[in-house]
Amino acid sequence: MAETLTSWTGEDVHLADVDRAIAELRAATASEGGQPSLRTSVMTHMAWVPEGWEEAARAALSGMAERHPSRTILLYPAPNAGSNGIDAAVWLECFAVPDVDREICSEVIELHLRGVRAKAPASIVESLLISDLPVFLRWRGEPPWGAQELEQLVGVTDRLIVDSTEWDDLPHPYRNLEGLFDRAAVSDIAWARTSRWRALLASLWPDVADVRVVRVKGTHAQALLIAGWLRSRLGRPDIELEHVDARRLEGIDLDGEPAPFPPGDPPIPSDVLSDELDTFTRNPIYEAAVRGALVEP
Amino acid sequence: MTETAEQQANPLADGLSFRRTPDPCALVIFGASGDLTHKKLMPALYSLAFRQLLPARFAIVGVARTEGDDDSWRDDMKQAVQKYARDEFRQDVWDELASAMHYVSTDFADAGGEAALEKLVAREEQEHTLGGNRVYYLAVPPPAFPTIVEALGKQRSATGWTRLIVEKPFGHDLESAKKLNKLLWRHFDESEIFRIDHYLGKETVQNMLALRFANGIFEPIWNRQFIDHVQITVAESIGIEGRAGYYEQAGAIRDIFQNHLLQMLALTAMEPPIDFKADSVHNEKVKVLKALHTPGPKSVVRGQYGRGFVEGEEVVGYREEQGVASDSMTETFVAAKLFVDNWRWADTPFYVRMGKRLARRETTIAIQFKRAPHPPFEETASEGLRPNVLLVHVQPDEGVSLAIGAKVPGQGMTIRTVHMDFLYGGAFRTGMPEAYERLILDTMLGDGTLFTRSDEVEEQWLLVDAIVAAWQRDRPAFPNYAAGTWGPPSSEELLQRDGRSWRRH
Repeated sequence: MAETLTSWTGEDVHLADVDRAIAELRAATASEGGQPSLRTSVMTHMAWVPEGWEEAARAALSGMAERHPSRTILLYPAPNAGSNGIDAAVWLECFAVPDVDREICSEVIELHLRGVRAKAPASIVESLLISDLPVFLRWRGEPPWGAQELEQLVGVTDRLIVDSTEWDDLPHPYRNLEGLFDRAAVSDIAWARTSRWRALLASLWPDVADVRVVRVKGTHAQALLIAGWLRSRLGRPDIELEHVDARRLEGIDLDGEPAPFPPGDPPIPSDVLSDELDTFTRNPIYEAAVRGALVEP
Repeated sequence: MTETAEQQANPLADGLSFRRTPDPCALVIFGASGDLTHKKLMPALYSLAFRQLLPARFAIVGVARTEGDDDSWRDDMKQAVQKYARDEFRQDVWDELASAMHYVSTDFADAGGEAALEKLVAREEQEHTLGGNRVYYLAVPPPAFPTIVEALGKQRSATGWTRLIVEKPFGHDLESAKKLNKLLWRHFDESEIFRIDHYLGKETVQNMLALRFANGIFEPIWNRQFIDHVQITVAESIGIEGRAGYYEQAGAIRDIFQNHLLQMLALTAMEPPIDFKADSVHNEKVKVLKALHTPGPKSVVRGQYGRGFVEGEEVVGYREEQGVASDSMTETFVAAKLFVDNWRWADTPFYVRMGKRLARRETTIAIQFKRAPHPPFEETASEGLRPNVLLVHVQPDEGVSLAIGAKVPGQGMTIRTVHMDFLYGGAFRTGMPEAYERLILDTMLGDGTLFTRSDEVEEQWLLVDAIVAAWQRDRPAFPNYAAGTWGPPSSEELLQRDGRSWRRH
């Protein structure tokens, strides 16, 4: 009996090699004479992972395929590699389904883009996208605003997922992000992580309507977005922000009064990303909050 | 999401997804020491607690004749949760749930019983500010209904809302169902009565609505022009599991056909509702049930299992089961050909079958389409080709598959049937809630969409009564099928007469 393939790697490959490898891996999941494992996909999930973000990207993605069966394409740009080419690794992540004798498999494709190949990523991923399914692009770190690779990938994406906590020099990058709102729906992990607190602040209505100063202990991005949200929703650009730096959102004071702590535990990274992958449309509340974050009272 | 007026006016609430959280309330379970409470209700409540879906202020009061107190009932229920809940056991979740649980050992036939319960519930309402909101769950045999309903009617809370969940069987014929409805209406409004059919709480049954009404491709062909016939199978491999007392009275026709099966048929055949509100859905279902008929006694087959083999193990026949009369004429299998007399379905047969000790556990709805009118291939090329079938797997393997014809790779033109599968567990891997979780939560929220309305129940009994009346005139030779098979030969003949056959498994 032929040895069952579980993964495939290749250097200096063509995309046809990747396609062939996927087909062979899928065929190899079949027991002799049986049917191959089921392929169920609800999206194509791309992640742009610059150097230094590899570990964080893998951690957030672990368990994702199980919850959102998708074709995952991880793009590792190495524009200064000294040579031009694509190195690839392909494997299937398969999961048992109760009461069913076949497994569900999703495909993971890692592409290391060397040299100039990192400059035209859309032309590479385009042939690997699953037709008719939404494309989500997770961009690690701050996107290179205006750069060719960002422009191209946003062009083939339905939803761009960023985490503005990963960005420096806030709030200025929000101005650049705002420029993408009409081109792709945007999710921000930093914003998603404020949802428990926003629900809590909403529960303080109508007392919260007259707030003058909001003090946020959390990341800079979270503080700016909470203030931007209050300004935009309440129609009050005069609301002032005081920020106390912390690794996560730990507390909010309204005019010096601490707001009660929201119930429940904060979600784990893969849960936050997973929730964003369930969202398909533009979020006007977030977009207004970003604009509100740029306001200087 | 239910928004209060205050939330609508609250600009900060826009875009936030508020979870449907019920009002504070007390849930009173009659039959708290019974099988249903152990295997379904308490595990469902635990799972709701696990996901923080229960009201913030909440009390559970168990009522049963079994001797016991709060502690012994909590211990008993803890074991049930550990054994039957779908979620991991977490002590902190359990502790919080258990702290809201109380037990009353009483027989409602005794005068003091209802007073003891009322005193406890009133105390809990005051202590936890429950606002007088109550859900009563009647997980008791039907003979106990009248006493309990009368007592509850007299003791209605002066404040808050009251809701009553009634388990099946809802009556044993049309007359008794009408009588029971009248009894309930004396004390409760129809909107307060939640007649449970747990099949409607199953995700895959609800998916039939999504499949039909969220996809533009199916509805245009969902009619007599394109569909040859429909097959609905509710097959169980288990026997009566010690429930001889109930099953001898009910049989397959009252246990499954009258409720689960006819409800699935109604969802399959109904017209699109204008919205997904309870009355809109009930209105469409009841139209189907009113239009339903079986063409005559020959279109209904009944059976009873004899000895046989299930999963390689020899099992006894129905008449040898403990508590079953040795000459019992109770049916454990029913197959029928039904018609829905309306514009959409005229002359399209709905073949249904259900039974115990069948070859395997399977609940499916199979929509068999008409054959392609003129396949331009040689006859031999398409001899392996079967008509297109859209198969909704309710359980197990929850999902949908479509059988289509495809060319076998090679030089010639040979066509075979292949299946395109969508598995629920494959696309949505978040774990499907148990039906009772959904239905208990919906009751607390006052959403009766997934329950059955009085007129639906009565229409269902009308059909069953007509079938059972015909059965009084003959006495089949039972047992007539071996355990572990697909029922009596007459079931196959039912379709063969029409030039069709049951779906191959």
